Order: sequence, then C-alpha cells, then structure tokens
Amino acid sequence: MRALRRFFRRLTSWTTTHQDEERLQAEIEEHLAFQAAENVRAGLSPTEARRQAALKFGGLEAMKQTYREQRGLPSLESLIQDTGHALRRLRMAPVFTAATVLTLALGIGATTSIFTLVNAVLLKSLPVANPAELYRLGRENHCCYQSGYSQDKEFSLVSYDLYKYFRDNTQGFSELAAFPSGQLLFGVRRSGNSEAAQSYPGEFVSGNYFEMFGIGPYAGRMLTADDDEPGVPPVAVMSYRLWRQAYGADPSVIGSIFNFNEKPLTVVGITPPGFFGDTLRSTPPDFFLPLNAEPFVESDADLTKYDTHWLELIGRSRPGVTPASIEAQMRVELKQWLRSHWGEMSPGDQAKFPEQTLFLSPGGAGITSMRDQYQHWLQILMMVTGFVLLIVCANVANLMLVRGMGRRRETSLSMALGARALRVVREPIIESMLLSLAGGAVGIGIAFAGTRLILQFAFPSLPGLAGVAIDASPSLPVLVFAFVTSLVTGVAFGIAPALMAVRVDPIEALRGSSRATTRTGLLPRKTLVVLQAALSLVLLSSAGLLAAALESLENQNFGFEQDHRLVATMNPKLAGYRPAQLSLLYKRIHDSIESIPGVSSVALCLYSPPGGGWGSGVSVEGHPAPGPNDDNSSSWDRVTAGYFQVIGTPILKGREVSEEDTATSRKVAVVNEAFARKFFGNEDPIGRHFGRTQVASGEFEVIGVAKNARYFTQDLNQSSGAMFFLPETQAEYAQTNLGSLFLRDIVIQTGPEASVPFASIRQAIAAVDPGIPISSIRTLREQVSSRFTQQRLLARLTSLFGALSLLLASIGIYGVNAYDAGRRINEIGVRMALGASRGHIVQLVLRGAFGLILFGLFIGLPLTFVVGRFLGSQLYGTNPYNPGVTLAAALVLGFSALVASVVPAFRASRISPLEALRAK
Amino acid sequence: MKDKTAVLQGTLALMVLKTLDVLGPLHGYGIARRIEQISGDLLTVNQGTLYPVLLKLEQEGSIASEWGTSENNRRARLYRLTRSGRKQLRAETKGWEQTAAIIGRFFAVKAGDLK
Repeated sequence: MRALRRFFRRLTSWTTTHQDEERLQAEIEEHLAFQAAENVRAGLSPTEARRQAALKFGGLEAMKQTYREQRGLPSLESLIQDTGHALRRLRMAPVFTAATVLTLALGIGATTSIFTLVNAVLLKSLPVANPAELYRLGRENHCCYQSGYSQDKEFSLVSYDLYKYFRDNTQGFSELAAFPSGQLLFGVRRSGNSEAAQSYPGEFVSGNYFEMFGIGPYAGRMLTADDDEPGVPPVAVMSYRLWRQAYGADPSVIGSIFNFNEKPLTVVGITPPGFFGDTLRSTPPDFFLPLNAEPFVESDADLTKYDTHWLELIGRSRPGVTPASIEAQMRVELKQWLRSHWGEMSPGDQAKFPEQTLFLSPGGAGITSMRDQYQHWLQILMMVTGFVLLIVCANVANLMLVRGMGRRRETSLSMALGARALRVVREPIIESMLLSLAGGAVGIGIAFAGTRLILQFAFPSLPGLAGVAIDASPSLPVLVFAFVTSLVTGVAFGIAPALMAVRVDPIEALRGSSRATTRTGLLPRKTLVVLQAALSLVLLSSAGLLAAALESLENQNFGFEQDHRLVATMNPKLAGYRPAQLSLLYKRIHDSIESIPGVSSVALCLYSPPGGGWGSGVSVEGHPAPGPNDDNSSSWDRVTAGYFQVIGTPILKGREVSEEDTATSRKVAVVNEAFARKFFGNEDPIGRHFGRTQVASGEFEVIGVAKNARYFTQDLNQSSGAMFFLPETQAEYAQTNLGSLFLRDIVIQTGPEASVPFASIRQAIAAVDPGIPISSIRTLREQVSSRFTQQRLLARLTSLFGALSLLLASIGIYGVNAYDAGRRINEIGVRMALGASRGHIVQLVLRGAFGLILFGLFIGLPLTFVVGRFLGSQLYGTNPYNPGVTLAAALVLGFSALVASVVPAFRASRISPLEALRAK
Repeated sequence: MKDKTAVLQGTLALMVLKTLDVLGPLHGYGIARRIEQISGDLLTVNQGTLYPVLLKLEQEGSIASEWGTSENNRRARLYRLTRSGRKQLRAETKGWEQTAAIIGRFFAVKAGDLK
C-alpha cells in the first residue's frame, strides 16, 4: 500500500519540480546554518564552522542526485526527455519529417486499405450470435438449382421436403434453417401507392431463420415458425438499409401492406442494421419472406417439388455435439429420404445412390461465394502492397541513415563524454517510432479514402439495386493492424541507423568525420537502393503483365459484336405477367423499340452474352441413350427472330431463327459449333433431331449452326461450351417450369452513325406497359467489361503501386548518388585539379550509379519471372513470359534511375576544384 | 548479505519515525542531531543522507511536512509523524523486538541445552 502511494507521488512529482528543488536548497542551507551556529558556539571561527558543517553534511551534489532520483521516476523521465528531444529535432528538419511521414503514410495507408477489404471479405464472420456454433451443409458452392435425386460430389442443395426431413430428425442441431441458394428479385410497391414497382433482392427463409442466427428485430418483430405454415396470413421482414434509404425509417411501414409481384403481404418488422443475410454479396437481400409464402408470391412454386433442390442449410449445433456426429447422422437420413422416394428416381439416379454423401463445414461466415470469388484477387493485392511497404521501409531507412550520418560527430562526441550505448541507440529508435506512428495516423485517413475508392471500382452498383454490404470505415481490427504495421516499420527502419550510430568510433569527433578513410554507411544504403530497384522492377512488370492480360481478355474474339449494341434488362415477371400474355408482350416491345429513329433491329432473349445460359441435358435422336457417366449437358437460350443478326454472331451453316418459326410450325433449334462437335462429331447436324429427354429425343430439328460465342466468362481458359437456341414463339407456355419463359434482355442494334438516347428506350417500353421495371440499359461493350471489373481493378491498382514504387526508388537512387558524390568531393577536386574534364567527372559518378541499377535489375529479373508465373497460375489470360513487358519495365526503371543519377552527377561536376579541395 | 546502505536506509527510517514519535515535530537538522546523539557514531559523517530518507517517508505517507519557525525564529521545514506513520512504527518495533528475542535465544543456547 505504501509502495503504491509512493509510486503515484513519484509519478506526479514532475508538476512540482521547481518548488521541490527550491525547497531542498532552502532546507540544506538551513541545515548548514544550524550546524555552523552550533560549531560557532563550540568555539570555532565562522569560516571554520562553515567548513566543518559542510564536511559533516557530506557530498552535496551526490546527495542531491540521489534525492532527485528518489523524487521522480528516472527511467520514465529520461524517456520523456528523449522523446522531447526527438520531437524538437524532427521539427528542426521539416522537409525530412514531412517527406518521411508522407512516404510512410502512403505505404501504411495502402496496406491498411487492402487489409480492410481482406478483413471484410475473407476474415469476418456473419454479424450473428455465436458464429462458431453454426454449420452449413456443403463444402463448396453449387448455386443455384439441382434437380433429380443425385448430386455430384456432395449433396449440398436440398428440396423443401428434404429440408423438413432433416429438420425433424437431426437431433444434433438446436435449429436448422433453410434459405435459397440463388438470389431472387421481387417487384415491390407499397399497397395503395400508385408508383411503379421497384425490383429489390429478397429471400424466402424458413420460420426459424432469425432464431437460428440469434437475430432480434430492430423494430417490429422477426419471422417465427408460426409464420412459416401453409395458409397463415403472409408476412415479410424488411432490411434496415432499405427502410432508411427508401422510406426514411418511417414507423408506419411496420404493419402496412406491400405488394410483392402484385401479391399483398404485411411487413411486420425491420432487421437490425449490419445484418446482411447469410451470404456476403454485393446486393444483400432487402426482404425476407417465409418459405411457405413462395407458392403465393412466385408463379411457379419450387416448394412443393420434392426433387427440385434450391435451398441451402445452416444449423446451430447443440452444446457438446460434434459436427462429425451430426454429419454422420445426416448422411444416414439422406439415404433414408432417398429410399423413400425410390419409385420416383430415374435409373441414373438409382445407379448413383450408393455414392450420395454430404459434408458439413463451418458456417460462421455464411455462404462464402464472395470469399471464394475474391480470395485470389485479395491475396495478390496483399502481396503487392507488401512489396510497396517494403520499398517504403527501404526508402525511409535510407533517409534515416543519412540523418544518422549527419549526426555522427554529435554521436561520437556524446559517446566520448560517457553516454551509455543504450541511450545513444534509443534516440534514433524513438525518432523512427514517432515518425512511423505519425505516418500510421495519416495512413489511416488515406486508407479510409482508398478503401471507398476501391469499393466503388470493384462493386459498381446497378441502378435500382441495393448498395454495398462492406463497411469501409476502419474497424478495430483494422486500426490494430495499422498500429502494428506502424510499429513494425518503425522498428525495422530504426534499427539500422541505431546500430550504425553505436558503431561510431569516438576518435572521429576529434578527427573530423570527412577525413575518414572508411566509407562506412554507404554499403547499407547501396543495398537498400538495389533492393528498391529490384522490387520496383517486379512491380512494374507485374503491372504490365496484368494490363496486357486485361487487354487481351477484353478484346478477345467473343463471337459477337460489341459495337453499336445496347442491352436493356427488364423483368416482366415482376409486373405480374402470366405466361400466356408473354408472347404478345414481346412482340409489342419489339415493335415499339424498333420504331425509335436510329434503331436498326431489335431482338429479345433470355440471356445476352456474356450473361450465362440455362442448363439442360440433351438426347440425340438415333444415338443410344446417354449412360449415367456420359456428359450430355448443354446450355441453351431462348431468343426472338433475327437474334443472331442483332447480336452479330455469324451463322456458319443453315439459317437462324426467323419469322417462319411460329407456334404452329415444326419445332426447331439453332446450335453452336461446340454443340455440333459434341453431339454430332463430324456429321452434318442440319436436319437432325434432338431433345431434352430421351423420350422426346426428336423434339427439335437443327436448322442452323452458329459460330461459338462466349456466354460464360468463368472458364475463359477453355473453349466455349455446347449451346442451343430455341425460338421464343415455340416455347411451351403451358408448362409448369416457368423460369425460362420470362425473357429479360432486349438487344438493340443501332445504326452506325446513330446515337439512341436511353430515355427513348425507356419511353418505348413504358408505352407498352409502364409497370414493367427496367433494371438497366447499357451498351454491350459495358456489359462485357463489367465481367472483368476485378481484373481491371487489379491491373489499375498494380499500375498505381508500380508508379509509386518507381517514384520512391528514384528518390532513393537520387539520395544515394547525391550523398556519394558529396562524400567524394575531395577526390573530385583532386581529379579536376589534375586535369579531369567535367564530362569525365559526370561519367565517374554515373558509373557508380549504373552499377547499382544494373545490380538491381540483375536481382529483379529472376524475381519477376517467379512472380509472373505465380500470376499466370492464378489469373487466366496472364502470359508470364512476355519479354516485351519485362523489357519495357526495365527500360522505364533504367530511365528514371538515369535521371535520378544524372542530376547529382552534374552538380558534382560543376563545382570548382578549389571549392572541392577546401570542402570539409 | 544485504547492502550496507540498504540496511542503513531501512534502520534510518525507523530511527526517524521513533525520533518524531518521542520528540514531536522537528526540522531536518534537529532529527539528525538527535539520531546522532542516540546512535553514537552511525551518523557522524554524511548528515545529508537523511534527506532522501525523509523524502521517501513523506512519499509513503508516514510523515508530513510544512514550513514553520524553529526555536531561534528561523524559517524551517518541520516534519511530524502521521497516523499511518505511527502504525508503521508500532509494527516495525514489534518486528524488531521479535527478531531480537529470537536471535537472543539462539545466542543464549549452549551445547548442553540441545540433546
């Protein structure tokens, strides 16, 4: 207790330093006066009395020193003193301080910015209760629909019936919830409101979804199991984001009726802010509806189909239950369920029954499709920023070394006078800590701005759809990361000058440092510059490689024309259209848009490239039935007449879909080259028949073969897959599988000189029916490049960082050469006095500089190849052995290094020999 | 073996407390003189070492100080014992007496007493 009290008194003693010193002095004087008076009384003379008193008292200064040490905390005080010194020294060199802090801020800011993204996308879990207890079905993503009774590799999607079976029988889960794998769009408008419906993303979820996640309402209430029964009044929950943005957090929203695809539901609650559902997406869901409302809202119900697997599962495990035991139990249940449907299974499915299995994986992060997608990019970005940070550290270390050099005389003097090595080393380290903390603070600001910029580039939001779910503001882990990075860089570039400082020989103070014959201090600097040059080369050539890859990706032959084409995306399903009305709607839209001046032709389709395709199996008439292991899959698209001409895909044989193909004429299809090769080999497919099932293998007659066109961009390293195209007029509008009937994309070809304003397209569609929501209108070129946003972002960022590193490396090279030339001033003076020309001097300095750069290039080249190969393996389209790019990068680096070296060389040559000899 | 100065500091502190306990508030010189008188030659040299001890005791809260006037009307800093100082004194006195008693018994023991 006493010790604690004493500690606090010592801690706060600095406030009363002055008074305490005075007081002690006064006390000592009084003491001496008393003693002297007594001595006088004992008979000594006044002077002798004083002397004896002083002797008796003892060493004054030593006692005062002990007193001072006891009064305060000496270690703390010296630390504060050193910090004060460091601050003052930094203030006296404003250019150096500003340059260093800025350099550090850029490096730390870039790293932190990337880390914010990495944290949000790769590391964070869902904002739910106890994410560690959550487990999801499936190890990979198999979005979005599977049908039948077998799934390759693992059973990861389930039908509603199978979900209920799992839910009711798996004891290991306290709650098991289901939600769709793909994202749905609802056309929503408030009941009683005359405004047009807007399309918003949403999900059908099981009643216990929110309970399983442990999410309570922000307002109103969440869905419960009671809401998820057939026949109960249908309700919905709205997201906080939408509530604020579209309705201004109006409390009357809760309890009011909204129309979803023209069906009324009551909104009963608002989710808490920050909850973005079960999957990190760029468009988080705005509405949650109970699963049993699906048949009510959607025209075709997936709920009732036993063999349509469209749901993902996440469950919360009971305490004490291992996931392995739940997994084992669920496998048994799966087999039981399959066996209960044995009669409905196809022979193929029955044959695959023994291999059907499932896996559980940790579900705390939700469905990680975004993580898988962006993992590579983010890892590469982290590497790139790591490089930049290294270069930054090297640069700042260089600067610090120069300062250290400048202070050598001071340091050697201090050491000669008895300063402890520890204190001498502490100074530069404190300076570098201060600099890096300041750099870190500014860096956080840069990181904040940088992250927002990157997000805007990476996730451009389509008009009408929701915004981004990633929080760009620095959170605690990010701040900790920035702080730690600052400290580490501080120590990293503080140590070198600190160690240099200690190795100073005290005799130098007496001798005068410029006469030293050893050129200590230059080797570390040279090493740093070589390192910087090498790293810059790597960055620059990586940037070049990525830019070249992007170029080749965007300009490859896609098989369709990108110029003079517009794509308008609409959603007639959301306006409540029923299948029977669709054909007429398409015709009216086609005619309405074609009448716009400047439009040369129009076609509608289910998917415009590179947007994807519907999947199907194919059975060719006359060929044997495909076995269970044969790949007879193909993609397909539904198009209106004249589509191929509008999209610019040439027909190689036969003809394309035209007006002759009507609802009553024979059913036809156009296939692509890949389809012809896959199913017909070298035979001519024209006139042959195929179907989607073995029974109906004569359904479609092939009337034309089109060139391969890219409808999928996921597997760019493979050639296009098989695809066939069906005329819209021949669709079976009476079928129950309605998804493929609603054509979404309108492709518009404009005349070569014409420019068609988007507004007129909207008007044309509104003239047909103002209730149809239009999600977007853009050029086909934009649509294609939007598939490569991440590649573009990566290329741009790497180029930016490459330029940055080049600048830093150049500064480093300039600094070293200037310093070198400065140190060799005497030598230069002697040479010039002996008759060397100015040009000779320039050459002399440049030779040294070139040596450095060449060495740097030498080291950098193999590293460039290694990195290039890594990039090539990660990203399709990157050709690692592009000598042009590497050469260009080397040239750029060499050129800027030359410029950076030439300036000090010229300055060195312009000095007069007399000055040079006289200089110290 | 404890450092001699450390032992000195510890016992010096005790002596200061006892002196203030017996004689009441006193200034630094007065304390030094009294201790010198009682202890014989312990403080004949280096009276100055008293002041760091006084500081330590004051920081610990065992003594308190204020400016006052001494007997010959000089301004002096007077130290006095606080309540917690009195407690500390009592506790340490007891401790020392116990130690002395135990050591005393050991010194008084003869070979014959232990069988």
